[in-house]
Amino acid sequence: MLSKRPLEGIRVCDFSWVGAGPYTTRLLAEYGAEVIRLETKTRPEILRLTGPYKDGIPGIERSGYYSNRNPNKKSIDINMKHPKARNLVIKLIKVSDIVINNFTLGTMEKWNLGYEDVKKIKPDIIYVTMPTQGSTGPHRDFMGFGATMSALVGINYLTGFPDKEPFGTGTNYPDHVPNPAHTAFAITAALWYRRKTGQGQLIEVAQTETALAVLPTATMTYAANGTILERMGTRDLNAAPHGVYATQGRSRWIAIAVFNDDEWERLKNVMGNPTWADSEMYITLAGRLANQDELDRMMEAWTQQHEAYQLMELLVKAGVRAGVVQNSKDLLEDPHLHERGYWIYLNHPMMRRHVYNNSPVRLTRTPAQISAPAPLLGEHTDEVLREILGFKEQEIIGLREEKVIG
Amino acid sequence: MNQAEGNIFNNLRIVELAGELGAYTGKLYADLGAEVIRVESLEGDPTRREKPFYKDVPGTENGLRYQYLNTNKKGIVLDITTPEGKEAFLKLIPTIDLLIESFAPGYLESLGLGYETLSSLNPKLVHTAITPYGQYGPYKDYPYSDLTTMAMGGMLFLAGADNDKPALAPDKQSFFQADLYAALGSMLAVMHADLTSEGQFIDVSIQESVATALENAIQTYDLEGRIRRAAGAVEAGYGTYTCQDGHVYVMAAMGRNTHLWDPLVKWLLEEKIPNAEVLQGEEWQEPDYRKKEEAKDVFKEIFEQFSARYPKNVLYEESQKRNVVIYPVNNAKDVLENFQLYYRNYFREMYSESIKGKLTYPGPPYSLEKLPWALKSSAPAFGQHTVEVLSELGYSIEEIKSMGERGVSYAK
Repeated sequence: MLSKRPLEGIRVCDFSWVGAGPYTTRLLAEYGAEVIRLETKTRPEILRLTGPYKDGIPGIERSGYYSNRNPNKKSIDINMKHPKARNLVIKLIKVSDIVINNFTLGTMEKWNLGYEDVKKIKPDIIYVTMPTQGSTGPHRDFMGFGATMSALVGINYLTGFPDKEPFGTGTNYPDHVPNPAHTAFAITAALWYRRKTGQGQLIEVAQTETALAVLPTATMTYAANGTILERMGTRDLNAAPHGVYATQGRSRWIAIAVFNDDEWERLKNVMGNPTWADSEMYITLAGRLANQDELDRMMEAWTQQHEAYQLMELLVKAGVRAGVVQNSKDLLEDPHLHERGYWIYLNHPMMRRHVYNNSPVRLTRTPAQISAPAPLLGEHTDEVLREILGFKEQEIIGLREEKVIG
Repeated sequence: MNQAEGNIFNNLRIVELAGELGAYTGKLYADLGAEVIRVESLEGDPTRREKPFYKDVPGTENGLRYQYLNTNKKGIVLDITTPEGKEAFLKLIPTIDLLIESFAPGYLESLGLGYETLSSLNPKLVHTAITPYGQYGPYKDYPYSDLTTMAMGGMLFLAGADNDKPALAPDKQSFFQADLYAALGSMLAVMHADLTSEGQFIDVSIQESVATALENAIQTYDLEGRIRRAAGAVEAGYGTYTCQDGHVYVMAAMGRNTHLWDPLVKWLLEEKIPNAEVLQGEEWQEPDYRKKEEAKDVFKEIFEQFSARYPKNVLYEESQKRNVVIYPVNNAKDVLENFQLYYRNYFREMYSESIKGKLTYPGPPYSLEKLPWALKSSAPAFGQHTVEVLSELGYSIEEIKSMGERGVSYAK
């Protein structure tokens, strides 16, 4: 039997925008938290103005970049630059459990909504701030993005081919999993702590430092051995063959990883035990590692003759680690993900039926639920003011006339 | 309740069945004060055998990744496939809040150690299973590695442009992603169990974890029917360029916004870079224009005449004064010498007993005002806590010794 979702009854006053912040509050919303995003039509959230858009037509209610980070949330349209906005926000904070922002340092303080201010409004608040490089130090005010952070912390240097320039993941990677998942974990711990003690607390997530926590090897190796690790394409220090090989079709590859002699024998069997594979060069892992250029060429001559998914089936059934390099179309059509209900289609007033990913963590008794599409900008302004903050209809009309709310 | 009593981590006890997955999940708890017991088979944790090694010397204790992932934990050795090992494992179950494991779906059931059995011994138990493709579905038994799950989860495809082969990110990011989601899900479930006394089983899929890191790629296909690859490298003013001592990453182009572009062009003009005035043309405000091969070449030629004059850190610091975004492409040495990280004391040194040497570790991923993060002890040596943990469960020293002799366990 399913139980109540673990974060039901928790309200989040969400000032965050763009990258890691909204992804964090999405994770909370999946488990039942009521997340109220503070947005404004006077300066819409950057992701609402970033594609892809429904049918390729730009519009603040058409962005898929925005939508997938914001299901299950409410949106109120409030102009923080208006002097009367703060009073409204104070009312919201008084009935919230968490206040979160990922602005550059000083923005919340400018509104007198820094941690010390907010603590006076709601003494047991959990206050989350996500400055890119932390709230102290000479670079604390530096402007940056997920992609630039990747360069700074060393992801780019290590992602790419040795004979080419550093490449990186091709995304704002730290914004997606490392920063949001760490932050949501810390928030959950703070909620539990509050349940035990009645006390709130400050959580600071310096995004570069969080990213470095999942990049231990290169820095530890340099510190211990004085060696600078270099990018190696798709190779691995502990396995060979270990790479991405062309198959039939354009931009179609299969990933194959062989960590030991047993797996090498299995791979040879699938290849039909060609004579080249019996060469002395390839008998041991050390030999395969030392002769990878030639090994990869021979492997690819074989993989190119095959269709990627058929080859994957042959390999995995024989116990060889293999996977097709899937693109977004492949993933949306992936039979395994479909059987697991990973893709969820929701209806949105402007975007109609469109896709969201489910949670990758299945809590069997208290599962995540993605039930409402991303909100329209200001969709819940009246609802929140009336039902949560207790404003009367006349007051709401007044605030709208004064352009405090949209 | 006071702060120390309220520190939930001090009252949490966790068992990890050692594999390639789950170690970071346990580390997040251990570094905040939870008691985490890592149960290894007699073959030992596979990450122990991974390069790079401390001082480049292979050895059971010397794997740097192993050392990182297992700080603040206890380590015991137990063969849970033997009747005695199974019995000892089952004795642990009622004493713990969370079990983290990464065996193939159905394996623990085949040993008689499945969730139903464990849950009957401890109804509050949270059992978190991390697997490449989850507990059910047609791919559930597929063998995997980080490379293949990065491929099947879609992140690998994005790390390349045009028809180029993609590159793999370092440090097994797919494992970190699954471990992170496992940590979050486990925390929610343990907190729920604390309130309701209801434990539960958690199914974490690496493939699905990776598929949450695809930025807007899924929506680009769903809404516009386009298959996208890497975002950088396809547009003038957005991506990697050479400089005097390596590479920098530039972000001057952002849709139709010009707030990052204009100050960069102004800077190039001040430096009297040949042809810099070309970049003032209105066409450069159009993303479609900036994506043309010709535009990319023109920008690169102009910009690199400028960037060749300065080292990456000078460009980085000076750019920020001008509202320009130029970041250094740092290697590990650069990162360790980064002034900001140094100032904030991010990297931490600790003597590791098991390798008899000092290691430098990445520091806290967050700071919680009332739940302190600390490195207290280094990764356990093979079998270091076997005696301690089995004694607590009521085994005598003789029994533990005998288990060692018969290959059920190992104690250091």
